[in-house]
Amino acid sequence: MGDLTGLVFKRLGLGLITILVVSVLIFFAVELLPGDIAQAVLGQGATDETVAALREQLGLDRPAFVRYFDWLSGAVTGDFGVSLVSGERVSEAISDRFVNTLFLASYAAVIAVPISIMLGVFTALYRNTLFDRVANVMTLTTISSPEFFLGYILILLLAVRATLFPAISSLSSDMSLLELLHRAFLPMLTLVLVVTAHMMRMTRAAIINLLASPYIEMARLKGTPPWKVIVKHALPNAWAPIINVVALNLAYLITGVVLVEVVFVYPGIGQLLVDAVAKRDFPVVQACCLIFAATFILLNLAADVGAILTNPRLRHPK
Amino acid sequence: MSTFVIVYYAALIAASCLAAFYRQRSIFAMLFSLTLVSFVLGIIGGAGALRFVATAAFVVALAAGTSFCFREFLIMISRPGLAKELRTAPLTAAFGMFVIFTYSIAGIFAPWIAPHGEAEIIGQAFAPPDETMLLGADQLGRDMFSRIIYGARNSVGLALVATMLAFIMGATAGLLAAVKGGWFDQLMGRVADVIMSIPSLIFALLMLSIFGTGLQVIVIVVAVIYSPRVFRLTRAVAGNIVVMDYVEAAKLRGEGDWYLVRKEILPNATAPLIAEFGLEFCFVFLLIAGLSFLGLGIQPPTADWGSMVRENATLISFGDITPLIPAAAIALLTVAVNFVVDWMLFRTSGLKEH
Repeated sequence: MGDLTGLVFKRLGLGLITILVVSVLIFFAVELLPGDIAQAVLGQGATDETVAALREQLGLDRPAFVRYFDWLSGAVTGDFGVSLVSGERVSEAISDRFVNTLFLASYAAVIAVPISIMLGVFTALYRNTLFDRVANVMTLTTISSPEFFLGYILILLLAVRATLFPAISSLSSDMSLLELLHRAFLPMLTLVLVVTAHMMRMTRAAIINLLASPYIEMARLKGTPPWKVIVKHALPNAWAPIINVVALNLAYLITGVVLVEVVFVYPGIGQLLVDAVAKRDFPVVQACCLIFAATFILLNLAADVGAILTNPRLRHPK
Repeated sequence: MSTFVIVYYAALIAASCLAAFYRQRSIFAMLFSLTLVSFVLGIIGGAGALRFVATAAFVVALAAGTSFCFREFLIMISRPGLAKELRTAPLTAAFGMFVIFTYSIAGIFAPWIAPHGEAEIIGQAFAPPDETMLLGADQLGRDMFSRIIYGARNSVGLALVATMLAFIMGATAGLLAAVKGGWFDQLMGRVADVIMSIPSLIFALLMLSIFGTGLQVIVIVVAVIYSPRVFRLTRAVAGNIVVMDYVEAAKLRGEGDWYLVRKEILPNATAPLIAEFGLEFCFVFLLIAGLSFLGLGIQPPTADWGSMVRENATLISFGDITPLIPAAAIALLTVAVNFVVDWMLFRTSGLKEH
């Protein structure tokens, strides 16, 4: 087992380094501004005194490296500084919204993951049949549609024509869970459609790849019943690709969530990011980007670690 | 029971019988299951639901017919060698080519096709369709139809430019990395890793917040974000070619890196690269559409599909589908490109999935 833990720790270390490098990128990208933050925020009309005052207030007179380590140590403890626009603490603006976004993403994931893996396995088993072809065209269409297109179609059908669900998801903390699930239903469904399509295609490809390998053929030739081929021979080796597919698509949810939140005016962190970009509120942009990027990297990391842990060749060393 | 419902079931059952008679098992299965599903749908949704199914089937049949004719037309006008290739194209690929053809006509001849200018205000805000305005007016009273036509030029054009730039950057770096190897390969690989470890939309938002939303900025940012994908593919493909004997022979002849790339590697790497170009275009197109939808892409008054959806989204709450047309245009083009790419990949890989 020493080999296995070694591999996992190596991968974890690599993930940590990636997050660090990305944080450097996010911080120093803002340094690329023509002039500096103070000038960019105050614009052309600013007098020298006001620019100098803002510079002082933001601590821009200190070297960039010192400010980076301040920012990073703050970020680790959940303190992202002060918003340039509202003067509010960024962490306060983010915390509630982050919970909402996590709620939406996990709501979508809980429904999308089982459905898409099942459909993926079915299309792989019954490949090149009509069912498979229809599924292929439909998933391709879903993948090719922008998220906002799917979102508005759902609004049109399920919120305007048939008034089943609200078109705008306004949440508040005193709602019951059922009410929350009802309000977040349409954004969830949009995400589920997109992610299911991706996940199903990847699962299908992974399983087909597996079924083509010689030991499956051998099992079939010696007369093993089909269900036993799947359960005993294919599945132990299929876990790694399936875990990979799931984690990668959960990471995909992270990007999809931004557009979906804007369509449904869902009070999440994606909407906050878009607003902050339009207002050029850099501390908020940096904080949101770091959170999104870190989640993305962590999910990718989980995919790799999961693949290592479920690999039969590594679990049963000779 | 209305005449429509009777005709509907009669046609379905007749078609199923025909399919069964000619031993077309899969077609029969599809038609007959559609009949059974229609019973349920008819009970729940009434004649309206059946009408919807009939319309959808008609649209699919029309698309299939058009793609069939377009494929025959292409086969007729092309050289014998190309015609033979085209004969292997499935209907979906032919449909894709037809859509791409239509879009390019709309984009290139936009000023002649569109009845009005893209920024010309000719009516009331949100005016309903009439003789002068095919699809009605948008939120400022501009002709929606003309703006959609101009959008084919602006949105697709911008995505094409960005894809080309991404491709030139990624492919050059990938080819050089494969030929040179060593520290250059390592450096480029790590840069690509870092760029790919940030979600593309998030990275684009970060960059746009810093550099503002100019056209050049969007093109460069999007190209930077998507070039690592091209880099990895090119490097992998070129890596397999570099170890071939004929490349070794060229090296021993004393040819330079540039000659190797141009004369030995590129001609053998074209097929996967063209397919990747199509895929890459889809990603870039969707990303730019997303940015425009968020109000951070092409700025008004230039017509653009993503921002048109956003600007007219209020109409959707009144049950009007006009704002969805530009979004559907985006989806249709992406599907079309994907269909064509699927066929190309299938052909070049010789993959039969049996």
